[in-house]
Formats: sequence, C-alpha cells, structure tokens
Amino acid sequence: MALDGKRLRDLGLKSERLLMPTKGPSNFEEEVNDLERKLGLTTLEKAVAWAQTNSMWPDTFGLACCAIEMMSIVASRYDIARFGMEPFRGSPRQADLLIVSGRVSHKMAAPLRQIYDQMLEPKWVIAMGACASSGGMFNNYAIVQSVDKIVPVDIYVPGCPPRPEQLIEGIVRLHEAVKAGVPPAYELRSVAK
Amino acid sequence: MSDFDAVPGLVEVNDAHGETTIVVEREHLAGAAAHLRDEHGFNFLSDITAVDYLGWGDAGVSGYIGTPAGRDLNTPMTQGYQALPQAKPKRFAMNYHLLALRERPRRVRLQTWVGEDEAVATVIGVWPTADFHEREAFDMMGIGIDGHPNLKRILLDDDWDGHPLRKDYPLGGEPVRFSDAV
Amino acid sequence: MAAVTQPRNRRPIYEHSRIPQPTPSVLTTSEELRATGDIMTVNFGPNHPSTHGVLRLIVDLYGEDVTGLEAVVGYLHTGFEKNMEQKTWWKCITYPERIDYVSFQNNEYVFVAAVEKLLALEIPAKATWMRTLLCELNRIHSHLVWLGTSALELGAISMFWYAFRERDLVLDLFELVTGERMHTRYFQVGGLAEDIPRGFYPEARKFCEWMPKAIDDYETLLTRNKIWLERTQGIGLLSADDAIALGQSGPVLRGSGVDWDIRKDEPYLAYHQVDFRVPVYPEGDVYARYRVHMDEMRESVRIVDQCLDRLEDMEGEPWIADDRKVVLPPREELHTSMESLIHHFKIVTEGFRVPEGEAYVAIESPRGELGCYICSDGGPKPWRVKFRAPSFVALEAAATMMQGALIADMIAAVGSLDTVMGEVDR
Repeated sequence: MALDGKRLRDLGLKSERLLMPTKGPSNFEEEVNDLERKLGLTTLEKAVAWAQTNSMWPDTFGLACCAIEMMSIVASRYDIARFGMEPFRGSPRQADLLIVSGRVSHKMAAPLRQIYDQMLEPKWVIAMGACASSGGMFNNYAIVQSVDKIVPVDIYVPGCPPRPEQLIEGIVRLHEAVKAGVPPAYELRSVAK
Repeated sequence: MSDFDAVPGLVEVNDAHGETTIVVEREHLAGAAAHLRDEHGFNFLSDITAVDYLGWGDAGVSGYIGTPAGRDLNTPMTQGYQALPQAKPKRFAMNYHLLALRERPRRVRLQTWVGEDEAVATVIGVWPTADFHEREAFDMMGIGIDGHPNLKRILLDDDWDGHPLRKDYPLGGEPVRFSDAV
Repeated sequence: MAAVTQPRNRRPIYEHSRIPQPTPSVLTTSEELRATGDIMTVNFGPNHPSTHGVLRLIVDLYGEDVTGLEAVVGYLHTGFEKNMEQKTWWKCITYPERIDYVSFQNNEYVFVAAVEKLLALEIPAKATWMRTLLCELNRIHSHLVWLGTSALELGAISMFWYAFRERDLVLDLFELVTGERMHTRYFQVGGLAEDIPRGFYPEARKFCEWMPKAIDDYETLLTRNKIWLERTQGIGLLSADDAIALGQSGPVLRGSGVDWDIRKDEPYLAYHQVDFRVPVYPEGDVYARYRVHMDEMRESVRIVDQCLDRLEDMEGEPWIADDRKVVLPPREELHTSMESLIHHFKIVTEGFRVPEGEAYVAIESPRGELGCYICSDGGPKPWRVKFRAPSFVALEAAATMMQGALIADMIAAVGSLDTVMGEVDR
C-alpha cells in the first residue's frame, strides 16, 4: 500500500496542532464515532490501525543520553502508559517500535541492524535526538551520521536530548500517521546512502 | 617523598601549575614505576594518557604569551613577536598520573617519551588497573605495550585500520554546510 | 546498621588478592572445567535490558556458576577527544557533558577547572558556591538514576517510579536555573554563564525539605527488605587492597572500607567550607555500595542546604571572572567601549588562548574519580584532552568481583559498579 504520489494530507492526516488549535476529537475519531453510532461498523484497516497504535510496544534500545530521557517518559510524570506503550520489551521479537535513542557508533551499527531485522512486521523506527537523526554534534570518524543509513526511519525527533514532551509529540505524530494509513518506513523508502 | 632523585632512569623533574612531572627514560619505565609505588607510596594509578606531538609548534602562536608559570595580567601583548612552544624530544609522550592514597595525599605525573616505532613496557605488574588504560593507548595512539597479556583494541572494532587520535588521522565524518568554519 | 535477618551467605572480605592473572580484567575458565564440555558461552548485550547501556559481557557458564567473564566495550565510542581538538576552548565545553550523561555538570566542571588551572583564573565566590550546589544536585540525580535502574534490574520494579519522581524534581531545578533539563552547559571558563534567576532559592529549599523524606521512603522499601538483603549481601566482593590496585574510586572504594573522597581529601570548589560526612562501609559487597549511595544522597541534600544559605547572601555579586581576555564583556559595554567590542569579537571568532602547558584535575563525580588532562600549545584550541572515566576503570573490577558467583549475581554486581557507558567509551 504505497503512497502513490499522494500527500499525507490527502490520506487524511490532519495534525491537530497545526490546523485545529481548539481542542476537540480528531477527524478520524469523529468519523469513527459517527459510523459506529449510526451503523455500528468500521473498516478493518482503520480498526487494525487503531489497535496497532494503542499498544505499540517499544524495544529497549537506549544507547546514550537520550535513553535517560526515554526512561523518564516511562516514569510517572510523562507517563506513556497512557498511550499503551509502557511495556518496553527486552526481546525485539515482541516489540513494534524501535526508538533509537542515542549516538550510534560504527561498532554498534551491526547490532542495531540485527535488532531491527529481528523485529516482526509491522515495525516502526523513531530516531530520537540529534545524534540518531543526523549524527548530531559528532561529525567524526566514530559516529554513523544518521541512523537512517542503517534502518529506515519513520519519525525524527530533534533535540539534545529532546524533552520528554518532544518525544511524546513524536510518538503521537507517529500514531496519527499510522491511523491515517501511512505505511511503515520500510515500505516507503530504503536506507539512505 | 619530595625528593625523586633515586627514581631509576630519571631525566628531570618539572613543577608547573602546582603539579610535579617526573620524566624518565623509556627503558627504565617499569623500574621507575615500581620504585614510585614501593618507596614513595604511589599505590593508585589514576590514568594513563598518551599524547601525540606531531606538528607541535607548526601553527605559530601569537597573541599574549602563555608561560608554564601561568598568566601574568601585567604582561602586554606580543606586539608582533611570535613565540613558538618549546620543542618536544620525541613524537609521543606517555603520562602516568599517580596518586599516593594516604593521610596526606600526593599526586605526581610520571612521563616518558616514546618515538615513532618504539614501545613501552607494561606496568600491569605494578598497578593492575593499567590493563584497560594501556589497551586504550594502543588502540587510539598505536603505542605498543611490551608484556601486556591481552593487547587488543578496546574502543574500536577489532578490524579497524589506523589509530584515530594520532594527529595525521583525519577527523572523518561528512562534509556539511559550515564544515570549513571553526 | 542492624539487618533484620541475618543472611545465610554472609562472609568476611577475602584474604589474598583475587585479581585474575594474567589479565586483571578477564576471568578465564580453568582447564579442568573446560575439559568437562559443560561450559556454555553466553553473550550479554550490547542490547540488553539489564546492562547499563551498551555493554557486552561474554560469560562462560558452568550451570549457573560464572567461570569466565570478559567485558567488551566500545559500542558507544564517540571520538570526543578527537572532536574537542578541533573546537575552540569555549565551544569544547558542550562535549564533556555528554561523556557521563547522567552527571553532566560534574563533567563540565572538571574540564572547565582544568582550563582555569592553566589560565590561573580567579573565580568569584558566587560562582564557586553555585557550582558546588549544582554538582551536588547532579550527584543526587545520578544516584537516583542508579537506584531506579539497579533496583529495577533486581526485581524491585516500583523503585524505578519512585526514584524518577524525585529525579524530575531535580531536573525542574536545573531547568529553572539553566533553561535545559539535561546537558545544561551552564559552567563557563571563569564562572557561570548567567546570573542565578529569581525564584530559584525558594524552589531549591522546597526540594531540600522534601528529599530526605523521599530517601526515607526508598530506605523503607529496600534497606531491610529480606529479598533485597538476600540478593545484595555477600555478592560482588571486593577487598580494599584489590580495589586500590584496580584503581577503583567513589562508592565502590568506599563500599570496600577505604575512606577516600576527593571532596574531603583534596578539596575543590567550596567543599572545604561545608560540613558533610563521607559514608564508608567495610563489607565490600553490593549492599555496602547501596548503603554508600543512599547515605551520599542524604549528605548531598545537606550540602545543597548549606550552599543555599551562603548563596542567598550573595545577591548582586558577580557570577563570572572579570578577565576580559577570557570572559565575554557584559553586553551593555559593547555600545560604549571599543576594547570590549574587540575582545568580544576575538573571543567569539578566534577564541581565547590558554597558555602552553599540561594540567590534570580530578574531582569526585558520583561514580568516583573523574579526571581531565589537557595539554595546550598556547593556541585557541586544545592540543589534547583526555578524560579519566571512573566507569572505565570500574569495569576492570567486574572480573574480580565475579569469582565464584552465580549468573544472577552478575546483574547485581555489575549494576553496583554504577557504570555509564558514555564514560567508558568516550
């Protein structure tokens, strides 16, 4: 299910924060509520996307400083159990989301790709922080300049380290993209050169 | 304790910024290490630092003159004179930062100069903590350690080419928009 | 400290050195055990929920006994030292923070202190006291992260949430002062980057009132908990002589009975003017290190209180040194003074110059002796910067500690070393 040249907006992705500053249920929720109320039906894809979004379990892939902020979103103040993502699975076989949090050295690149390969489809990748998104302040021999050279990335979260709220924003945008029907990154693009 | 004349292979003792540096010859390093631990009580090895002085003094230094004794606010600027830093005897220096962990602690730096293809003796027998530090000096600077039981790369991949902290090894990375800027 | 129950496997710290030969950091399986054919070699990590970051341990197991252990590091090697050689002294300060990413301000301080040593700068009192306060808050932060994660690994899962609740309070204080939760980049060569904002002192006082009660909560949960005692007493033994020979420092050394704390024995910042205890426990096991960490948190709160007492009287004092060759002039002066403008320009573009020489400064980070060696050639950029990381050295002790231990003890022992892999690999 490729994008076929459509923009995300045509697929129904309307980020609430950009278009609707006043609080209210999102387009998707309104549609589903409408249908459910009137006919008690929903499309299978939307239902599956809703289920995937609400229990997307991350893998414990904390590398460096960003891992500490990732741990703080599990903690009680910025609670991601609200989003169903509290169980960080140790085994990649049981995880849906790989949050690459921290700088990836060349020595770690091979284990990273191995973990990604061991995850089962559908799987998503969030590049958390400047080092995972682009190499950050470490433009040198030791660090891979952006983790998208190794794994296809869905969401890039900037920051050094990103505040927990920033990471949650990234996660919520990923959820919205999934609910809108955007396929995971491995169907859209390959790794960068 | 304040007198290091009996250290084997002693070349000189420098005092700067409140720190004492004992320079010894490379061949007598193991003996000097054992002497310092047994006679002077330096039972704790903090750190081993390898420094590469290739290109030392090539970029002429101008601006206010810095001296080993510290800054003097009353000394005016160079007014056109350039002072180059003092030349170093060999390319590499191995610094062993020692601490005498006792009631009246004392810190000292044991320094030895190593040439291009020369190796230093291991001090694992004196301070077992030297294990990882010496492996790192070998990995990053390529200084051979004689007698180390497990000399392999520690921070880089086992099949990495070159020694990154040497001055003739490039920084690497990708060119980005302001790569030429400082 | 009277334990409620006497643990069965408690024994005194051992007599002779247990450092493995010939390689101190590698425990090798004996030949007889290898010949039985029952040895299983297992790889822990680098991606493992219980190693603190990307540590790889290659373990030989005979049933559940650990007979061989080797630590493979380098999965987070970032090339800090090479990167810092290309930046001016001022721009370098952002790098050390990310080395030990849990106690970031201690890293900042050690680098800035080494540069100030070569420059022979005089730091104003307000900056010294504020630096002390922030370093102690950082110590609390680091111990909270250690407590939360180590207890989580041993099964005391709720400790994670309690510890991180207080951690968020500490990070709120950092954000109030510096604008950033982690990696604050607040220390400058010469003092602090900016003045202390209004409203910090009451918030910090509230924190100091609350924190001892929170530490009481943690101790209620763990200190006399039978399961915790069973899992930590008598585990990961390290004698005082072995610890000194292996270069250990910080809670590992103090948990083995050696009374050595750089804050007391070689004081820096304002530590000689504050009153605090150094906890030392003689048992040399994981439980002793846990007690050292908990007591250190209490002492840190006391130090923060005393720093606040002194700082509240210092309103309006300068927070950075007056040396215009090194420190940026105040912005108002740029409109009126030509020399200030030129100095500002030179410091920002070329950078200030540090006199030729070398210096080694060691401070007591939450993990132990954190040292920074810098070598300057008189120019605006460092010639060589090296960080002596306590966690790097702590991993050498893992092999000694795991003699005759079980695989489950390995998690407890390696966790008690309080390693941060950013420091180990730099």
